[in-house]
Formats: sequence, C-alpha cells, structure tokens
Amino acid sequence: MSNPISARGFKRGLSYLIVGGWSLFSVFFVVWVILASLKRNRELFGSPLSIPADPQWGNFVKTWVNNRFGDYFLNSRLVTSASVVAILIVAVPAAYVLSRGRFRGRQALSSFFAFGMGVPFPLLFVPLFVMMASMRLADTLTGLTLVYVALSIPFTIYVLEGFFSSLPSELESAAVIDGCSDVQVFRHVMLPLAMPGVATVAILNFVGLWNEYQLSLVLINSPENRTLSLGIYSLITSMQYSGGDWASLFAGVTIVMVPTLILFVILSEKMISGITMGGVK
Amino acid sequence: MMRRRMICAFLAPALLLYLGLLILPAIQAFYLSFYETSGFGDSAEWVGLSNYARLWGDSVFWRSMRNMALIMFVGGVATFGLAFLFTMLMNAGMRGKKLFRTLIFMPNVIAVVAITTFWSFVFMPRYGMLTSFLKAIGLNELAATAWTAPENVFYAMMVGLVWISVGFYTILIMAGADKIPAEMYEAARLEGASTFQIFRQITLPMIWDVILITLILWAIQAVKIVEFPYAFGGPNIDQNLYTPAIYLYIMGFGQREAVYALGYSTAIGVVMFILTIFIIVLMRLVFRRERVEF
Repeated sequence: MSNPISARGFKRGLSYLIVGGWSLFSVFFVVWVILASLKRNRELFGSPLSIPADPQWGNFVKTWVNNRFGDYFLNSRLVTSASVVAILIVAVPAAYVLSRGRFRGRQALSSFFAFGMGVPFPLLFVPLFVMMASMRLADTLTGLTLVYVALSIPFTIYVLEGFFSSLPSELESAAVIDGCSDVQVFRHVMLPLAMPGVATVAILNFVGLWNEYQLSLVLINSPENRTLSLGIYSLITSMQYSGGDWASLFAGVTIVMVPTLILFVILSEKMISGITMGGVK
Repeated sequence: MMRRRMICAFLAPALLLYLGLLILPAIQAFYLSFYETSGFGDSAEWVGLSNYARLWGDSVFWRSMRNMALIMFVGGVATFGLAFLFTMLMNAGMRGKKLFRTLIFMPNVIAVVAITTFWSFVFMPRYGMLTSFLKAIGLNELAATAWTAPENVFYAMMVGLVWISVGFYTILIMAGADKIPAEMYEAARLEGASTFQIFRQITLPMIWDVILITLILWAIQAVKIVEFPYAFGGPNIDQNLYTPAIYLYIMGFGQREAVYALGYSTAIGVVMFILTIFIIVLMRLVFRRERVEF
C-alpha cells in the first residue's frame, strides 16, 4: 500500500472483479441451461460444466411433442398476446384522461387505481376462483386472460400517466385551435407522441404475463390449458414418479426462457427505464 | 377541451374491469373470511372471527409468518447490501456500467419456474451441481451437506431469491443515483473523499426518497411472496418453505388433493393485506425525513 497509485489500481480491479463476476453469473446461468438441455442425463450429472459432446436435439422433440410443450407454448402465446392487446385498449385511454383531463375527482380516481398495486394478489385467489367458477370461466384461457387484464390495469395506468403528463400541452392547444375534437386530439396528436410509453408498458406486461405463474396455478387445472410455467411445474411433478429426465426438463426451461431473453437483448434499455420509472418516478 | 362523454367512455372499460375483478374480489375476501365453506354448492356457514382465532393458534401459519419475516429481514439485508455495493462500485467511475447493470438485472426477465429449476439442480442432494463442485475442489465434508434437508432448504431457496432480487433493486437504486448531478461527485473526489464516503455522504442522503420506496416495495413483496419458494419446493413442498401466501394456496386448493378450506384460506389473505397497509404506514412514519431537493 506504499504506492497510492497501485493501491487505487488494486481497488479498481477488485470492483471489476465483483461487479463483473456477478454479471457473468447471469450469462453463465443462461448458457448453462441451454447446454444442459442438449445433454444426455448421464452427462448432465457426470460433468455438469462440460460442453455437450453429442448435442441431443431429441430432448427438445421429446419435450415439445411428448411432454406437450408445443401446446403449452401456444397457450402462453395466446394468453399473453391477447392480454397485452386488451390491456392497451383499456388502459391507454384511461391513463390519458386521468393525466390530461380536467374534471372533479380526477386525482382521487387516479389514486384509486394506484391502490390496486398495494393489494396482494393472494388475497384474490379464492374470490377469483369462485367468481370464475360461477361464470363458467374457471379453467379456461378466456378467464385467465380476463384476470390478467384486470390485474395489470393499476401498474399500466400508473406508468402511462407518467408518460402522458410529460407531454407538452402546447401541441394539445394548437390542435384544438386547428379544429380538432377532443377524441381527434387524442388519436392524432397525443397518442402518437406517447407511443414510446405505450410500447414500454406493452413489453413489460408481455414479459410479466409470459412468466406469470401464481394466478394460472389457481385458475387453470386441465393439462390442455396449461401455460409454459405450469407445464414445467407439472413436468417436475411427474418426474417424481418416472425418474428424473432433467435434460428434457431443461429443454422445457429453455423454451420458456428464450422468448423473453430475445426481447430483453433487443429492448433492455427500454425495459429497464420503464421499470425504474414505475418504481422510482 | 374534453367533453364529459369522452371522459366517461375512456374511463369506463378500465374502471369496470378493475372494479369487477380486483376491487370486488378484494371486498369478497373480507366477507368470505368470516365464513366456513368449500365453495361448491354447500351452504357457507357464518363463523364470525373463528377463522382468525384458529389462525392465531395454528403453528404452521406462524411458521409461515416467521419465514416471511426472515425473507423480509435476512433476505432484505443481503439484497440491499449487495444492491448498495454494486451501486457504489459502479458509480465510482466504472466503465461498462450499462452493460453490467443490464446483466445484473437479466434474471428478472426469466420465468421464476425456470430459475428455480436451475437452483433445484444446484442444491440437489448427492448429485447436485454444488455437491459435485465441492467434491471437485476437495471439500468432501462440506459436499456431504444435504442442502435440501428441512434445516437447510429455506436458506438454499433464499440464495436464488436474493440473486434475482439484487438485480431488480440495483437498477432501481442506480436510477435514483444517476439523477444526482455529476459535479457533486467530482467535487467530493477532489476533496479526497473515498468511494465509501461519497456513497455514505452524498449518494445515500440524495436518494433517500428512492430508498424509502424500494424498502416499502421489498417489504410488501416479502409479505405476498409465493412463486419463488413454491416452485423451488416442488410437488412435496417442505413446510420450512411455506410463506403465508403458500399456506393460503395450500389451504384453499391443496397440493395433490384439494383442501377447499376457502374461508380459512382467505383469512390468511386478509392478514396479508392488513400487514401490507401496516407496513406502508409504518415505513412512511419511521422514515419521514427532509427530502433533499436538487
């Protein structure tokens, strides 16, 4: 420590080691899971850190066809995309009115929607299950989608309000002077300006719902309606009896993981800024 | 300006769905917690507060509450300690900050079941990755540890949980720290302040409001956590992994066989809800401090 420059260099090196090491573990996780999905089980247990000697693409075929992950993938895709579209249709206009409208009770209504973020979803498990059963929507993808949409509203409106209220009001007045009606101002002026925000909430909801697990666990029962997360859980359950085919299980894990990872690689900045805006604001 | 008709039309769909599928079930939950019912056609029987009285004497429920508290405090210290460390180091002028931040956050976009499957493989008894790793470096005694044994399984779960959470809270805290004017850091560094001093004297006080929000967020997430420990526990989940929400699920819907103690189950949800409100109010009171304006 006699030389201050090398001491600083050492500290700097240590910083990179700590932060870099932790970051690399995320990469290791992804690469390891994908490699594991291509191994034979004996290889997976015998040398967990090796590169697969003879890639077993058959693991994916087995998972996709025999373990029905093809169906689960379609279910996940259907529920997630339908939910995201519906969330946008419902939440974008509401957030717009709540942040740009002038009417009594606006602030109260806005807080009322935000309140939903504080409700722990497990509180709703039983009532939602009973309600869905009485509407004959229990164990259906339609019912699951409806619940996803409703429960995503508070967060989505909260983040979108932030986007809408950051837009300049001059454009709004200019459009009104030019003879636009209120709906036209929304459609042709404010909505296009808010598109980056709309895209952000669309992506965040897509990722969140693609990975969603607890509500589907409560509301979905039959194998043909399972989403990917439920599919993995049921595969783990069945492995208890049939012995551990971990390689095929990791093929399933790869299938659920890759779509959101691809999105993240392309859009990480947008996603991170969206989350920090919602959380920190 | 906006006509009343447009305001109503734009708000109605969101409000209807929100009221019907979030607020209404939340109110029903309170009501249901005073009944004993299995939900299917049998008449619900009013039992007053007896579900809550039973909860009070239910040792499994208290164990789940204890686990929740451990996640909140032990997991919280680990998560925030690491998130602070990373924020501090990255703000001390590291290159590639954005890339590191992105990678640290990455596990958060992956499905929880995918993550828990990996960690189950790591901690698997006898053949797990951790065991083979420890054997490979000659720590045979440590390798013999049963990581998923009842006394260890909770902390094994916590490792994975903290791993994800650190990524989430690091980006929130860093986003707050990024808003601090760079001149403040430069001035401090010129004065000879160390990285830790800068973090302690500048970053922390300047982002106090962000920290408060993240702490509240952590506490309410700890109250309602279900997915990670549930998926980690697998089909025969150990009671040492129960959180109140997992116990709620199991009392309501069961594991292999349904239990359908719907009233009892919902009473747990009500306790969680009250706890959430209590935490928010308490934290706001305890952490009330002058906000630094800049």
